[in-house]
Amino acid sequence: MKRAYLPLILLLILVLQGVSLDLLPGNLLRSDWLIVSHWVFIFLVFIAVFYDNESTHYSVLYALIFGLLIDIVYTSTLGVYMFSYASTIYLIYGLKKLLHGNILVVALLGSVGLIVSDGMIYLIYSVVGLTDIPWSMYLTNRLLPTIGSNLIFLFVLYPLFAKKLTNWGKDQITKGNSF
Amino acid sequence: MSFLRKKRLFLLLIGFILLVALIGFSLRDREDLTIIEEIVNDTVGWAQSVVHAPVNWVTNVTRNIGDFKDTYEENKLLKQKLAEYKGLIYEVQELKEENEDLRKNLELTESDAIRNYNPIQATVISRSPERWLEQVTINKGKDNGVKKNMAVITPEGMVGKVMTPSKHTSTVQLLTGFDQFNRISGEISRDKGDNIFGMIEGYDKKSKHLIFRIIEESQKDVKKDELIVSSGMGGVFPAGLPIGKVQEVVPDKYGLTKTALVKPSADMYELNQVIVVDRSVQTDEGQESEEEEEE
Repeated sequence: MKRAYLPLILLLILVLQGVSLDLLPGNLLRSDWLIVSHWVFIFLVFIAVFYDNESTHYSVLYALIFGLLIDIVYTSTLGVYMFSYASTIYLIYGLKKLLHGNILVVALLGSVGLIVSDGMIYLIYSVVGLTDIPWSMYLTNRLLPTIGSNLIFLFVLYPLFAKKLTNWGKDQITKGNSF
Repeated sequence: MSFLRKKRLFLLLIGFILLVALIGFSLRDREDLTIIEEIVNDTVGWAQSVVHAPVNWVTNVTRNIGDFKDTYEENKLLKQKLAEYKGLIYEVQELKEENEDLRKNLELTESDAIRNYNPIQATVISRSPERWLEQVTINKGKDNGVKKNMAVITPEGMVGKVMTPSKHTSTVQLLTGFDQFNRISGEISRDKGDNIFGMIEGYDKKSKHLIFRIIEESQKDVKKDELIVSSGMGGVFPAGLPIGKVQEVVPDKYGLTKTALVKPSADMYELNQVIVVDRSVQTDEGQESEEEEEE
C-alpha cells in the first residue's frame, strides 16, 4: 500500500500546480516577473534525497512519468518537462551521495536542480521557438523569482515529508524489492 | 566503471532522441490529441475540478474582503450608470426592431449569420504553470460541443481560442499567448462604413500589448481608446466580439503600414467563468481560412 503513496501525492501536487497561480496576488501576476511553480519537481527532489537508496531509482522513474504528465496536461508540447526533469533528478540523485540530507542540503540541491531544469526548459523552448526572450531577461524575470517561490514551497514541504519519506525508504529495503 | 559511463551516455542519447521525436510529434500541425493525451487530460481535469472548488472559494473570500472597501464608491457609480442604461435599453430595443425590419426588407441574411453563435458556458479549472504558454483548461469538451479554434470570451471581451479539445475538458490558448499563427481579423467600427480593418497578429510580450496591423492603408487616423472588435471575416470567430482598446499607434518596421498596440479588454488573470462561442452557422469551410482574409 505504501508504494502507492508516492504516485498519489505526486498526482495531487500535479493537480494543485494548476491552481498555483490563483494563489498569487494579482499584481504579482501582472508584473514582469514570471513565477513558474515546479512543485512536482521539488517533491521529486525529496524522493531522490530521502526515499531512494543506492539501488533504487524511483525518483528518476517518477520524474519521467510525471514530467510527461505535466507536458500533456499543461503544455501540450511533449517531452520537454519529461527530459529536463528526469535528467536533472538523475543529477541530483548522483549529487546526494556526496552530502548528508538535512534541510540546507535539500534547499541547495533544490535550487541547483531548479536552475538546471528550468534552464533546460528555457533552452529547449527557445530552440523550438516557443519563447524568444534574451538570457539576461530570463535570469532576472523568470529564473530568480521561480527559484525563490519554489524554495518557499520546499521549506513548507520539508517538515511534512522528510521523516516520512526516510521511513518509507527504509521500509522498502526491508521488503527487499529494488528497481 | 567505463561500462557504466557508456551506459549513461547511451541513456542520455536515447533520451535526447526521444525528446526530439516527441517535440517534433507535438509541434506539427495536428488536428486531434492522441487517445492517451485525452484520457490523461480528462482524468486530471476531473481531479482539477474537484480541487478547484475549495481553492476558488478561498481566493474569492480574500478578494471579497478587498472588494468591501470599495463598495460604497462603486455603488454610487453604478446607480448613476444604471439610470443611463434604462434609457439605453429602450433605445436598443427600438433599434433592434428597426434593424430587423430593414434586414427583412433587404433580404439580408449574411451579416446576420456572421454575428450569431451558440454560447457554451464553461468554468476555468486550471491554468498552466508554464507562463510562456498562457493556457488554461476549461471543464467543457467535445461532448459538450466544443471544437478546435472556437473563440472563448468573457462578458468583457475575447480571451482566447480553444486549442485542443478532449472529451470532457479542453485547453484554451489565451490572447496573451497568441503568435503569428493565431490571427484574428478585427475592425474598428466607425460611422458611414469608414471601418478600419486589420489583423491581430499576436501578442508582444515586451510591451504587453496585442499587435493590430491595419491592412487597409488608411488615411483615417486611429485614435487612442478606440475599441477593436472581431470582424468575423476570418471565418473562425463571429463578428462583434470586443477584443481590446487601442493604446498607441506606431508605424511598422518598414514604415508601410501602421500598427496599433492594443490592450485586451478582458482580464486574463482573473478568469473564472467563460463562454465558448460556437459559431455553428458556418462549420467546415471556416477552419482553414483563418489567415487568408483579404479585405
